[in-house]
Amino acid sequence: MQNEAVAKPEIEMLESAHAQAWPQQKPAWGRWETIRPYAYVTPALLFFALFFFYPIGYVMYLSFHDWSLLNLEAKEWVGFANFTELFQEQDFYQVVINTGLFTVLTVALGIGLAFLLALWLNRKAKIYGIIQGTIFSPHIISLVSVSMLWMWMMDPQYGLLNAVLEALGLPAYTWLSDTKSALLSLVLVSVWKVVGYNTIVFIAGLQSIPRDIYEAAELDRSSRIKTLYKITVPMLSPTIFFLLVINTISSFQVFDTIAIMTQGGPVSSTNMLVYYIYEQGMDFFNGGIASAASVILLGLVGLLTLVHFAFMSRRVHYR
Amino acid sequence: MKRWASVFLMLLLSVSLLVAGCSQSASKTGGAAEGEKSAGAGDGKPVEIDFWYALGGKNGKKIEEMVQKFNETHKDIVVKPAYQGDYYQNHAKVLSAITAGNQPDVTMVEAGVVGTFANAKALEDLGPYAKEMETKYIPGLMGNSYWKDKLYAVPFNRSTPLLYVNKDKLKEAGLDPAGPKTWDELIEYSRKLTKKEGDKTKTYGFSTPIDIWFYEALVFQNGGSILSEDGKQLAINNEAGKAPIKLWTSMVKEGIMKNPPGEKYNAWDVAKQDFLNGQVAMIFTSTGDLQALESNAKFDVGTAFLPAGKTYGAPTGGANLVVLAKSSDAKKKAAWEFIQWMTDTPQTIDWSLASGYMPATTEAVESKQMQDVYKERPNLKVAVDQLEYAKARPMVPGYKELQEVIMAELQRAMLGQATPDEAIAAVEKKAEKILKK
Repeated sequence: MQNEAVAKPEIEMLESAHAQAWPQQKPAWGRWETIRPYAYVTPALLFFALFFFYPIGYVMYLSFHDWSLLNLEAKEWVGFANFTELFQEQDFYQVVINTGLFTVLTVALGIGLAFLLALWLNRKAKIYGIIQGTIFSPHIISLVSVSMLWMWMMDPQYGLLNAVLEALGLPAYTWLSDTKSALLSLVLVSVWKVVGYNTIVFIAGLQSIPRDIYEAAELDRSSRIKTLYKITVPMLSPTIFFLLVINTISSFQVFDTIAIMTQGGPVSSTNMLVYYIYEQGMDFFNGGIASAASVILLGLVGLLTLVHFAFMSRRVHYR
Repeated sequence: MKRWASVFLMLLLSVSLLVAGCSQSASKTGGAAEGEKSAGAGDGKPVEIDFWYALGGKNGKKIEEMVQKFNETHKDIVVKPAYQGDYYQNHAKVLSAITAGNQPDVTMVEAGVVGTFANAKALEDLGPYAKEMETKYIPGLMGNSYWKDKLYAVPFNRSTPLLYVNKDKLKEAGLDPAGPKTWDELIEYSRKLTKKEGDKTKTYGFSTPIDIWFYEALVFQNGGSILSEDGKQLAINNEAGKAPIKLWTSMVKEGIMKNPPGEKYNAWDVAKQDFLNGQVAMIFTSTGDLQALESNAKFDVGTAFLPAGKTYGAPTGGANLVVLAKSSDAKKKAAWEFIQWMTDTPQTIDWSLASGYMPATTEAVESKQMQDVYKERPNLKVAVDQLEYAKARPMVPGYKELQEVIMAELQRAMLGQATPDEAIAAVEKKAEKILKK
C-alpha cells in the first residue's frame, strides 16, 4: 500500500512523458492502464472482503447449521431447517410485523415532520438558526443516553410525560408498560432522534434550489401550494430519496432503544429483527437460528433498497 | 531512490519499536521477580488473569476492592477485574469472547445457567483442583455447582428471594411487623396497607417483579416444580403451576398489588424504588439488595421468609464463579487460586457483611463474627435460615430460553391478555421443542 501511494505521482509523470514522446509504445502502458484502477482499489477491496463479504458469507454458511455460540466445534448441517423453524414460529412473524410497522411509522413521521420543519426554518433570522441547532442536538447524543432519558420521562408513575399530562388534566398514558403503547413509544423516541438530522438535510436541499425558478413561478402567479408541489418537492426529490433509503435501513436495524428501554417486551410487543437475532444468539444460544434470521434481515433490507431504487429513482429529478 | 529511503526508514522504525518492546517486557519481568517472595510460578513472572463480574454499584465496588486485596497478597498472580453489565449481558459478552478467543479466565455465571455453559464444554472441570475441599461450602448452595456429577462452579454471591417489609407502615396499620406468613396473610396485609386517595392509589400493599425467580418460589411453595426430575418435561401444567398466576392477577385486579413496569431488571429497579419511596409497603427481592435498601430507606426495613403456600419455599439464586475451559493451564491454576480465595471464609464473611449476600462456607455462618452480626442484624440471617426450604434452580441447557417464554406468558396474564390456563398452555406448547435441545 505504502509503495503504491509513493509510486503514483512518479508513474503518472512518466506516463505522460512517454505518451508524448513515443506514442507507438502505447500497448505496454495500455496494459498497465487497464490494471491500474484495480491495483488502486485492491486495498479497499481487501478491507471489504475481510470485514463485509467474508462475514456475510459465513453467516449464510452458519444459517444452514445447527450451531451454538457456546460450542463452536459441534456444527451440524441441517439444510433449511433453521429457516423452516423460523417460518413456523408465530413469534417470528410478530417480530417481522413489529419491525415493518416501526419502520413505516418512523420513516413517514421522521421525514414528514422534518420536511415541514425545514420549510418553516429555512429563513435567515438568527432565531431560526438557534432552533435548527436545538432540534439537531438529539442527533449527536448517543442513542443509549437518549433511551435512558426517555425511559425516565416515560415512567408511568414518576415520569415527566405523565406529570405533564396530569397537569393538563389528561389521563396518564401507559407508555412502555402496555403491549399496545410500547411500540408507539419507541417510534416517538426514534422520530425525536432522527428528525433534526433530516431537517438539516432538507434545509441544505432547499437552499440549493435556484432562486430564479421561484422568481419565474412568482411571475406566473403560481399559488404557494402549487409552487410547493410543482417546484419544491420535485427539486428536493434527490434529498427525499436519500433520506428515505437511509432512514429505512437504520430503522430496520433498531437495537439500542429496544435493548435499553423494553428488551422486546412487554410480551414481545416491541421485539424487532435485530434484537430478536441478538436474543436468539446471545441469550438462548441458538446460533443457527440467529444466523438464519440475520440472512432474512439481509434479504429484507436488500429487497427494500432495491424496491426504493426501482420505483423511486425514476421519479427522482437530478439536476 | 526516494522510495528505497522510505522503506529503509520504515524498517528501521519497526526494528527499533520491536527492540523497545522487548526491553520493556524484560524490565517488567525483572521488576516482578524482585518483589516475588510468595510461593507460585517458578519463573517469577506473574500470571495475569481476567475476571469479568456482573454486579454494579456498591457491590461492584466491593468486588474491585477484594480483587485489589488479592493482588496485594498474591504477588505471583495479577487479577484484572472488569464490570460487564448485569448477569445476562455478562453471559452474552462471555459467549462472544469465547467465540473470538479472547475470553476471560474467571467469570460469574448466574446459578441457573451453569448447566448450559458446562454442557457446552465452556467450563473447566474443577474437581481435580478442588480435591474434595468443596465440602466446605454450604450444601444448600451447591445445587447449581454440579453438572453431570462434575464440579464446575463454586458459590460466590448467593442469594434467595426474601420478603422485605416497611415495618413502620405495618405497625401503623396495626399489623405484625414480622410480616405475613402465608399467602392468605399476604393478601390480608396488602389490603390493609393499600391506601387510596380518590381513585389514585397512594400506597400499594405489595409489589414484585414478575420474574421467573419469584414464580419458581411460589411454585415450590405449592409443592410443585418447574421441570420433571429428569429435566425433560415441563411440570407446571397443574394447580401448583397456576396458583401463583392466580394469586398475582387477582391481587393486581383488586388494586392491592402493583405490577412494576419495565422489562427484566428494570422492573426490579422500579419495585425497589417504590419500596424506598414508600409507594409500596412490601416487596419481593433478593437478599443481595439488603445492604442497599437498608442504607437508603428512611424507615425500618424488615426481612422475612417468602410467605408460605403449602410450605415455605424459595429457589437459590445469584451467581457462581467459574473457570473457563479455553484458558491456559497456568492461568487456570491461578484462576482456581483466585476463586478459592474469593469464597474462603474470611473473604466471604467480609463480602456478606458488605453486600447482604449469603456467606458461602459453613464455617463462615458458624463463625463467632457472623453469629454476633446476626444477633445485631437479624435481617441478614433470614436468608441463611430460609436455605432450609430452598431448592436449586432448574439448570438444563434449554432453561434460559424456557424461562423467557414463561416470563412472557406471565406478563401476558398480568396484563389481562390471557387467563392462567391459557398462559400455561402457551408455555407448554413451546416447552417441548425447547427442552429437546
